Amino acid sequence: MIYAEAQYKPLGDLYLTVEFGDELSLALNFRVIALDGALKARPLRGVTETIPTNRSLGIVYDPFTVSRQELVARLKELEPQVHTIEELPSRHVTIPIWYDDPWSLECATAHGVPNNVELLAEINAMTVAEVIRTHSGTDHWVSAVGFTPACYQAMPLDPSKALTAPKYQRPRRWTPERILCIAGQLTSFYPIASPGGYQLLGRTPIELYDPRQRNPAFADGPVLPRVGDRHTYVPIDETTYWDIRREVEAGVYEYQIREETYRLQDYLSRLPGSSEGRGRGARA
Amino acid sequence: MPVLEVLAGGLQSTIQDVGRPGYLATGMPPSGPADRFALGIANLLVGNDPGERYLVGRRPGAAGVEVLLSGLGLRVHAETVIAVTGADLAPTLNGQPLATWQSVRVKPDDEVLFRRARSGARAYLAVAGGIDVPLFAGSRATNVRAFVGGVEGRALKPGDLLRTFPPRRAVGALEGRRLRPDLVPVFGHRWRVRVVLGPQDDLFLPESINAFLRHDWELSSTSDRMGCRYIGPALEFKPRPAYLVEQAGADPSNIVDDTIPVGGIQVPGGVEPIVLHVDGPSLGGYAKIATVISADLGKVGQMRPGQVTSFQAVSTDAAVAALRDLEQSIAETSITST
Repeated sequence: MIYAEAQYKPLGDLYLTVEFGDELSLALNFRVIALDGALKARPLRGVTETIPTNRSLGIVYDPFTVSRQELVARLKELEPQVHTIEELPSRHVTIPIWYDDPWSLECATAHGVPNNVELLAEINAMTVAEVIRTHSGTDHWVSAVGFTPACYQAMPLDPSKALTAPKYQRPRRWTPERILCIAGQLTSFYPIASPGGYQLLGRTPIELYDPRQRNPAFADGPVLPRVGDRHTYVPIDETTYWDIRREVEAGVYEYQIREETYRLQDYLSRLPGSSEGRGRGARA
Repeated sequence: MPVLEVLAGGLQSTIQDVGRPGYLATGMPPSGPADRFALGIANLLVGNDPGERYLVGRRPGAAGVEVLLSGLGLRVHAETVIAVTGADLAPTLNGQPLATWQSVRVKPDDEVLFRRARSGARAYLAVAGGIDVPLFAGSRATNVRAFVGGVEGRALKPGDLLRTFPPRRAVGALEGRRLRPDLVPVFGHRWRVRVVLGPQDDLFLPESINAFLRHDWELSSTSDRMGCRYIGPALEFKPRPAYLVEQAGADPSNIVDDTIPVGGIQVPGGVEPIVLHVDGPSLGGYAKIATVISADLGKVGQMRPGQVTSFQAVSTDAAVAALRDLEQSIAETSITST
């Protein structure tokens, strides 16, 4: 549900969370990002950093500078303006994916489970080719970043292209780096080798985390994904994968990133039952 | 010229300063010392900047070495002053017991060895001037999982040569400094860790909140700087609406992912609560019953597997007061000279 009024909850003595709801929805995520933007535009005294997530904004503050009660009062003054937000800046990022790649299969086999893309095909009653066409057939909205550096969660912007996937019953001990994955309707990503429980979709040859910041795409920091980005996943074959991988390793790959805006209405109009129906272009 | 040479890396020895705040929204943890008090005092003893407060301060202070349990061996290459604080890892200087919680002058060819854990889990070694490794995103703190900070983003290994910045005072003037005896912590077998309940305590059955606060919890051996797992009774959750089963996951502990603070306590599946620590994730999809107060994060960092703790609920105001006490003790007024 989306709460009528945000809930302000303590996370110990240095954080609080402004929670707009407990569910996954773009309207809710828009409020989180809008409040984050308002705090970046006009920082509140004592707030040292903010952490936008799917449904809440984590706020780190110095309790010696501002009390929790005072901070909550200041935040409540900002709250009305975020409930009406309709448009946000949103980068569009193109990410090439080798779907149904051999590393994902090797990882699944090593953990005693079937090819994850074949499992997705079975669960969603379609062929493997249709799984790939469906997943790459809609842009995805990055609604949270975290877990590990550059790990993110993204929701499909065309509800008709939403796949569904269970999490692993027993989480994997390891996952190769640069693997794209899915659980529930959320697409996620393993930037570095890590444990995990999402179903493996494919592997990208490009880096979304580069601690050495060699490519100009990382001029602002070692982590590329940001909450509010939209991703287009482009299926590539083995040859293209290696061509791009060589460019990435040489530091000459040109990341495809466009600065755009996105309107909440473009999403809402695609929801089943919407009077405007689905299928209208999403780009601003 | 290097000041210290690593002869043996031990279980896991990493360079740490107060840490790397400001990047939580990218998934980059703050890292820094598992025991902020111990590193701060070690730095003060050798005349270094102990840095500003964890997570909300701006200055990371001088970098020292965090030593997990045992095995770190160092050879001194240049005359300097060191201080070892935190856990008692039976440190020796040229085979003789090395005094802890005080500054000690060392000379070329001296050898420092951390032999075995007698109490606590992590010792801290500071060197006059602070260890000179490159800054990454404003800090020298090592995060081995993200490959950043310290020496090439990894734990120390034999052959590493550590340089230092120039000491702020003459080496001779730094000798004989010690922590006031009444401030030296005693690390026993039983612990008491204070928490603020929430943000998802309302998802647990009330009996399970009581069980969490009443029982003793044993630290599991599968614990590290990311998270510390505790063994105890199973905790149970209230029934959830269908949309959350679909969106968040089939396990009753699943939530739609939200912020995990440093010190947040996740309870995946209702078993083995995990205190997420300084290298922990900023985002996660399991209900969090409580948050360890920042003044007690160091206690979690000093517990050894097999030791037990209770969790005591306090108000955020009490947590802030405890933090104020802790931070005020990391100051020159806590140091005596002989």
